[in-house]
Amino acid sequence: MDAYFLPNHRCSSWLASLAGRFNLFYPREVDEAVHWQRYDANDFNIEQLALRKIRAAEPIKPFFFSPRERVASFPEPVEPETKMKPTLLFGVKGCDLRGIAVHKRMFLEGEFADPFFAQRLNNTILLGADCPAPERTCFCNLLGLKPFLTEDVDLSLTVIDDGWLIEALSERGAELMQMENGLQKATDSQIAKREEQRQKAMRILKEQNPKDWNPNLAQAIADKTADKRFWIDAARDCVECFGCLLTCPTCFCFLLYDQGNAERFERSRVWDFCYLPMYARVGGGANPRARFIDRFINRFHCKFMHSKNQNGFYACSGCGRCFSTCMGRIDIRNILGQL
Amino acid sequence: MSNPYQPVQAKILDVIEETPNIRTFVLKPEREIPFLAGQFVELTIPGFGEAPFTPSSSHFRRETLEMTIMRVGRATGALFTKKPGDLLGIRGPYGKPYPLKEFEGRDIYIVGGGVGLAPLRALFLALTEEKKKYGRIFLRYGARTPKDIVYKKQLKEWEKIKGVDIDLSVDAADEPWERKVGVVTCLMDEIPCDVKKSVAVVCGPPIMMKFVTKKLLEAGFPGGSIYLSMEMNMSCGLGQCGHCRLGPYFTCKDGPVLTWEQIKDIEEPFL
Ligand SMILES: Cc1cc2nc3c(=O)[nH]c(=O)nc-3n(C[C@H](O)[C@H](O)[C@H](O)COP(=O)(O)OP(=O)(O)OC[C@H]3O[C@@H](n4cnc5c(N)ncnc54)[C@H](O)[C@@H]3O)c2cc1C
Ligand code: SF4
Ligand code: SF4
Ligand code: SF4
Ligand code: FES
Repeated sequence: MDAYFLPNHRCSSWLASLAGRFNLFYPREVDEAVHWQRYDANDFNIEQLALRKIRAAEPIKPFFFSPRERVASFPEPVEPETKMKPTLLFGVKGCDLRGIAVHKRMFLEGEFADPFFAQRLNNTILLGADCPAPERTCFCNLLGLKPFLTEDVDLSLTVIDDGWLIEALSERGAELMQMENGLQKATDSQIAKREEQRQKAMRILKEQNPKDWNPNLAQAIADKTADKRFWIDAARDCVECFGCLLTCPTCFCFLLYDQGNAERFERSRVWDFCYLPMYARVGGGANPRARFIDRFINRFHCKFMHSKNQNGFYACSGCGRCFSTCMGRIDIRNILGQL
Repeated sequence: MSNPYQPVQAKILDVIEETPNIRTFVLKPEREIPFLAGQFVELTIPGFGEAPFTPSSSHFRRETLEMTIMRVGRATGALFTKKPGDLLGIRGPYGKPYPLKEFEGRDIYIVGGGVGLAPLRALFLALTEEKKKYGRIFLRYGARTPKDIVYKKQLKEWEKIKGVDIDLSVDAADEPWERKVGVVTCLMDEIPCDVKKSVAVVCGPPIMMKFVTKKLLEAGFPGGSIYLSMEMNMSCGLGQCGHCRLGPYFTCKDGPVLTWEQIKDIEEPFL
């Protein structure tokens, strides 16, 4: 579809009109970090909209897969909330989408689709924004993703000097663009500018991640599995805080957890983490991954071996959150780079 | 889209004391649970949570469902306080059933240990219901002591079925016992079927499955004809939560029964 241009002086009002129709969230710069924030007209100024920055500190995962969610109850059953106002995530990054791809595979494509996840995903408009300036933590390029969006979102947005270039990538996106009459067809020079910015971002990523990985990480990890020395060295500085799993946009593990009594109970789905010692323990106490090192390896198997073999893509987005948060400063790129 | 986390109610019709710590619960679910031998369900003990169990009754009778359960911890402990008339929850069936079509025309060599005979009973009942389709059925079963043997009465009945051959052992005979003493592999020194053409089905504690599999391989069973029930930690049962991962498989949807051929190269300590 064609790209359109929205001049700077119209951007605030477009955002305000979208916020009237949607539960709108946007990335906001707070103390040098970017966080998702709910739009509130009384507390918003377009300067705070951090579209040119990289992804927010937290992944968009909780918008679809809540850290804690009631999924069943007794005696009255629970059904997904269908009357919710639709959500619009304004400024999703390329790496954010890998999480959605993994979760779609897990929650929707099996025999038993999860109606809660499905409802939220359906109910959400995704507006993607380019990353003109990838930072040191970024390595989406090594995982087959780009620092800009040309598919899998409803709208794609590029900030250029005098306004926004917006392109609809789905019918839902096209409808939203029709609501705004300040849009002008983008000129060739504006599109060239977008292209130039995008190429520059790719160059930055390439320069800071110069080492090419083993082209088949899945096989490389399989081959390395028995080399416990390698993994023990890789995990040496880990203090088992689980921050890497908590912030990861692709992790999907959960636990069903019941509370109540014989007459009335509720079932919640809570995020779970494969690094926890109890994670794989079975009845009676046997545990196939009782040692931390086996749980550490399991994470690499899950993300880089099984996901690639079964889904055709790695369950990693290159967002760098895991090592931004790591107490042991373990940079996953170093481990993958040695394979 | 229906909600797969929501259990249906099931009333306890009867509780049968099998051994000091194993009971068979006869349940009547609100609506029929269309399981096949080898599949499992998630059983809710209201207020305590869920645990996976395999129905031990025949899949030809689904109005009621029997499950034979050993008390090992929190959820099963709570279950053991339940009486006839109490309500539980069930969701399922989940997982893949025994591939009975592939069993047709072949001898079937079943080895069970302890409460592992529960899922095997569902299989045995399914096989004997349509006996003509299959070859001979061998059942080898071991328990810790004579007191720990489940389905004592039924075992006696089953021995009378033509084409069925049953042998039992106990690890220790602390009361009069006429059969073998020793771990269940002591019943496997002679395997009376044509191993290349038969199937072996094993269910029991991990350590028992390990040694039984070793024996079966030594006897010449091809790895693809050895069916093992893998007990991994399960939460969702739906192939979503990640807990039951065993190498490339999710035990809940690719299993719980997997062949030795499927799992033999997995690096994780699983048996
Ligand atoms: C497919 C399948 C079929 C089965 N069929 C049968 C059967 O027919 N009969 C039978 O007797 N058994 C069967 N089992 C085994 C049965 O599911 C377990 O014995 C049962 O789950 C034990 O539950 P429990 O709560 O009493 O035991 P516990 O030892 O208290 O706990 C068992 C599970 O609870 C969780 N857990 C316990 N403590 C914690 C903690 N502190 N934090 C987090 N999680 C915790 C773990 O997930 C653990 O695996 C089967 C298992 C599977 C996988
Ligand atoms: S990893 Fe790539 S997509 Fe994600 S924030 Fe960095 S540059 Fe943008
Ligand atoms: S493993 Fe690290 S870099 Fe990869 S998606 Fe998860 S948090 Fe991001
Ligand atoms: S964030 Fe770092 S220290 Fe914490 S569990 Fe992950 S690897 Fe270990
Ligand atoms: S039990 Fe949840 S994935 Fe298998």
